[in-house]
Amino acid sequence: MRKFFPVQDLARDERFNQATNEERMADPRGTSTTGVIRKARSTNRLTPSRPDATDAARSLMHGIMVGEIQALEGAGRTCFDFVTGEEAPFALKLDMARQCWDEARHVEISVKLSEWMGTELGQFIENTVLFAAACSQDPVLRLAGVNRALEGLAIDVFTTMKEFGELAGDPYLAFCEDWMLADEVTHVKMGSVWLRKITEDDPERRKKALEFQSVVDKIFSYGGLRSESDESPILLARRFRELAGFSDGELTEIADVSMAALNERREAVEKTLASSPA
Amino acid sequence: MTVTVEPSIFKIVKYDSNEIAGVATEMLKLLGMESTNLMIEVDEKVAMSRVTTTISEPVHILVMSSAFENLKKPMTFSAENTKFSLGRGLLRVRDRQSGHFDDAPTDEDLSIVEAAVWETYCVGRLSRLGLKVHKQRWHYNFRNRHGFNDTADKHFEKIWTADDLTWSQLSEISQHAIA
Repeated sequence: MRKFFPVQDLARDERFNQATNEERMADPRGTSTTGVIRKARSTNRLTPSRPDATDAARSLMHGIMVGEIQALEGAGRTCFDFVTGEEAPFALKLDMARQCWDEARHVEISVKLSEWMGTELGQFIENTVLFAAACSQDPVLRLAGVNRALEGLAIDVFTTMKEFGELAGDPYLAFCEDWMLADEVTHVKMGSVWLRKITEDDPERRKKALEFQSVVDKIFSYGGLRSESDESPILLARRFRELAGFSDGELTEIADVSMAALNERREAVEKTLASSPA
Repeated sequence: MTVTVEPSIFKIVKYDSNEIAGVATEMLKLLGMESTNLMIEVDEKVAMSRVTTTISEPVHILVMSSAFENLKKPMTFSAENTKFSLGRGLLRVRDRQSGHFDDAPTDEDLSIVEAAVWETYCVGRLSRLGLKVHKQRWHYNFRNRHGFNDTADKHFEKIWTADDLTWSQLSEISQHAIA
């Protein structure tokens, strides 16, 4: 069986259309730049009070669903791509196998939630950035990029969706997101534990992994998708991240990186507005 | 019937103003609104699917770019989505022109509950005109605004299957659905 599977070869049926993160970020349009939208919203946070809340939640749910598929594929690759004992400890692989089980269950839950919310599978574009982070040749970098950065984002997303479900009174959404959130905290913790354990005597490798995590965190911020600002739809879930093993310093760093991504996006939108005819 | 589209040339999204005008003409005919003149303004800087209508001569429709977008290939045009988005906006215009919606707030002043109830009424009718509609999407939207319970569901069906409601009747059903 082939090792180190490239992102462009992910198997999908004809319902799905994929785009790289670069392609998605090439879309300069904003979601809150005109008077009409400003009037309609006091915040971009994804809550039921937003006029576009239902569609925004459906779109995010679809993003979660394809993200779960890619997380399953990534954890599966980590079980197989590295030589047991030499490149990755058996216990690490066992954790990744457990994660596969969790992600497969999350895919099924997300598919059902998408149907419940009125979304057809493949209705929205699939961003392949999640699996791209799982293509590193070093298992430690995968743990940093996928388990800590990607699954960390999942904590933020699920917390937002869970609160959305609670506020809207949607019993299924709130319940399912809560259960998936519990798994994500475990996945992040596995990443934190293994990262520290494997790089215990290799500070250089640990530094490289944390740098990779920081890069992935910025990419996953999607130009301001997640931050501590009300301008971001997803809020950084500090409490659950603490439970998952993030230190205060790390959380502050992620908050700063996310804010920088939001500011970059803001500048890009302003630039687009300035260069477009009135 | 005249249909004007602004901008005539798009710089950000890959839309064609003639194609949009063609779809709008088709929808005006389908909805029996041949005597209505339209000015469609597309805000291509905003990736949302909001459609706001203003009764004037010509009727003004302000559209955020995602309303006409192929969501599987962002920034490209979808005739199907355009039909559907314009159909929802035009049915609101037709309702307002009927005289039975004189007490309805302007599109911009509709509350999220009012918007949801009117959307349900519009999309239900579009489905019976043969447009491809995913009912569950609109049911979910209605539930988000009226509650996740059997009472809300019963009133959703009542609105979805109706063809000749007035604004006061719609508002009344909506209030019963929430109660």
